[in-house]
Amino acid sequence: MTPTSRCLLGALTLTALTSGGSALAADALRDGRIGYVMTERRWAVYETPDGKVECPRGFNSGPREQFDELFPKGKVYTEMESRLMREGRTFHLENQKDPFPFYEAQGPMSYGLNLDGKTGPNDYQGPLGEKGVDNQLYRAIGCIAAYRMGGVVSFFDTDDMYGNAYNRWLIELTGVDDMVNDDEVTVTTYRGLNELHRDGTGTAFAPGSTQQVDVRWGKSFVSQLKGKIVNGVLTTEPIDALKWPNSQPGVFSGYYIMRGSRLHLDLTQRAAQGVLAGYVDVESFSHQLNTNWATHHQSYGQLSAASLHRALRRLADGYADAKTGVNTAISSAVQLSFVQAYLVHPQEKTVIASKAR
Amino acid sequence: MRSPLKLFSVLSTDLPIVLVTSAALLGGAQLATAAEPAAADSDVSSRYWQTANAPDHELYVKEAMPPGFQVIATELEGPVFADSKGHTLYKWPLRALRNGATGDREGRPSACTNEVLRVSAGLMSPYPPGLVLPDLDQRPSCVDLWPPVLAPKDAKEVGKWTIIQRDDGAGQWAYGGYPLYTSSLDRQTGDVNGGTKMDAGGDGGVVRIPVGPAPAVPPGFKIAFSTTGHMITTDDGASVYTWDGDKSGTSNCFKECLTAWTPVLAPEIVKERDDWTIIKRAPGVNQWAFRGKPLYTYNYDRGSRNFWGADVPGWHNVYTQRTLRPPEAFTVQDVEGGGQVLADSRGRTIYRYNCRDDSFAQLACDNPDSTQAYRMAICGDGDPKLCRETFPYVIAPAGAKSTSRLWSIMAIDPNTGHRAAPGQESLQVWAYRDRPVYTYAGDDKPGVTNADGYGEFTGRRNGFKAFVLWDIFGSNEFRP
Repeated sequence: MTPTSRCLLGALTLTALTSGGSALAADALRDGRIGYVMTERRWAVYETPDGKVECPRGFNSGPREQFDELFPKGKVYTEMESRLMREGRTFHLENQKDPFPFYEAQGPMSYGLNLDGKTGPNDYQGPLGEKGVDNQLYRAIGCIAAYRMGGVVSFFDTDDMYGNAYNRWLIELTGVDDMVNDDEVTVTTYRGLNELHRDGTGTAFAPGSTQQVDVRWGKSFVSQLKGKIVNGVLTTEPIDALKWPNSQPGVFSGYYIMRGSRLHLDLTQRAAQGVLAGYVDVESFSHQLNTNWATHHQSYGQLSAASLHRALRRLADGYADAKTGVNTAISSAVQLSFVQAYLVHPQEKTVIASKAR
Repeated sequence: MRSPLKLFSVLSTDLPIVLVTSAALLGGAQLATAAEPAAADSDVSSRYWQTANAPDHELYVKEAMPPGFQVIATELEGPVFADSKGHTLYKWPLRALRNGATGDREGRPSACTNEVLRVSAGLMSPYPPGLVLPDLDQRPSCVDLWPPVLAPKDAKEVGKWTIIQRDDGAGQWAYGGYPLYTSSLDRQTGDVNGGTKMDAGGDGGVVRIPVGPAPAVPPGFKIAFSTTGHMITTDDGASVYTWDGDKSGTSNCFKECLTAWTPVLAPEIVKERDDWTIIKRAPGVNQWAFRGKPLYTYNYDRGSRNFWGADVPGWHNVYTQRTLRPPEAFTVQDVEGGGQVLADSRGRTIYRYNCRDDSFAQLACDNPDSTQAYRMAICGDGDPKLCRETFPYVIAPAGAKSTSRLWSIMAIDPNTGHRAAPGQESLQVWAYRDRPVYTYAGDDKPGVTNADGYGEFTGRRNGFKAFVLWDIFGSNEFRP
């Protein structure tokens, strides 16, 4: 899908969700409060047809290809020196150089936000002409098939979210006087407890469902941001760290931590769409990948976690360690879609794990 | 090198924890600063475990058996078949893995032979077959670990008990068409260390399953095998509950109570048997009762095999039998994964290590008597010291004891991971089903399960899984 067509599709989706159901739309904002439940999430990857612009040298190799290169057929290898070495190093990566070439995404364009307020030599231009877009994660994952549209991570990250309420991510706006222009609103993130509510076609999600806020187990996913709405676009100030759940079936853990994170969402009373951008913590990114995606599944998308981790470290551009000076986080953007939902708070007191300072 | 100690420090150290009320959120009021105590469940012991002197055990459907066999009541697996020496019997049904299948085919001779397999089978992608297996000089054959249950020449088949010829001509007992074995890991009568009735899932390898008689439950009910016992559900998987407000043989749940709870109705004509009776709610309306207590389903349960209803004071899940409480040093913690886990005295999540090799015999590598090459690779890149730092053993204090047969104290050689020889310097560690348990250095506080999924195939094949007691989003409490 081209960037233009994706933008058009996004606009059409939002328009479709905005039109109709006016009675519902009129009711969604109540007492200055409106909630949304996430229905789609995808690490932002700017793609051209066949990837020839951003990946002129092709896509990166994955575990299967790397294994074949390290251990060519015709010789006998032990499990210790081959499989177990590879699997062990995935979790205990030494600082040695990657023996394989790593293809970073090329070109001037990327989705994302200008996180540092500057325009630097490594920054991108957004598809709508925005300058200074910070998204070095795109440089790392843009030529890994798994993260591209239809790739195994790109697809299952959203698809597995549908059936696993562990991943149910909610945002709630409070203090809203006007959904089009409001200079001060509060955005609180939560994990929800309920399934998504599909529409009559079974292929899309309907606004107006109820989501119970998880304040017992999901405390660490509660964050609060300050924001404003200008011409129907919500922007928030960055928050030190935001944690959101992301787990695959059968795994009893999984999340990302994003530093300096902020939301930029087109809002209606029926849907919200846009990006969450910030500096994703490199170590927790790789840990989530290693514990939620088996080498077998990474192989589907030619995704070598070890090679990617080295690239993330190399390209990290934020939150330098105070002692070593090494950057610990990498600029990034997640494309998100939400539909409106009525959030139910089961108890009066809610613990906020992190908030804007 | 990445240190798990530093992996998860971002949120735990940098962020203020503040308390805000819904009313404050509505008005955008100033946030208050006060920490909320962790959720506590004072009733966890009775929720998950039964006392040592509790008489509860699962009744079973009696059936004819050949001479020399018996049924043994066990703590976790319930009634299992055993040989004359009290050794639990297992089957090994064929199962498909990612790149092929192995195990015994129903009605066919055993695939477990006395050949010492030397190379991998390549059943788990992306790795090819033909890789030389570790510790070959000490590698056992399948038969070494899984002695077949041989039938005397004059043995006669009885019911589901049949005899299948092994390749060497010997007769091997089979049950339900599957050849039977004992396990070298079982040392005493009542041990079931070779396998479990819980579902290992496809990526856990082709596992051995203890064999036993069918549980004696009426039509309309079934048993769900969990980490804490044998939970009763309806046929469609809904958990059933009892209420402290009822008296034996009498339901007091009417009017408002029925908005949240639905009596489990029994047919008009039904045969009461053993633990299962009926009570009359009204003329012609029968309700099932178990051990005298009327049964209900919870109208607000989410999905099947659930514990949500037991969060309502006075209501309880129903088990035919539960395991005994773990040793005193262990605690129960709410975790952000959604649910509760077993934890150590500091509240750190307990992990179990799963491993099955990639040979056609699918031998376990998850215990100290097996090769440690797989575990050492995952927990320490082959370095025992790094392994112990990343996944520390749970040390048993001097004088510690367990009332549960499932828990024991094991002397471990810290450098090899094998059992220590008598007199050798060792670590005294807690073991569950004769396998050491661990914590994870990257869990910097109670309430997290950061190492769940650590290892091959998200911890199921060669890696670590949290000891889950209740998983509100998934089924991890019903997995070994």
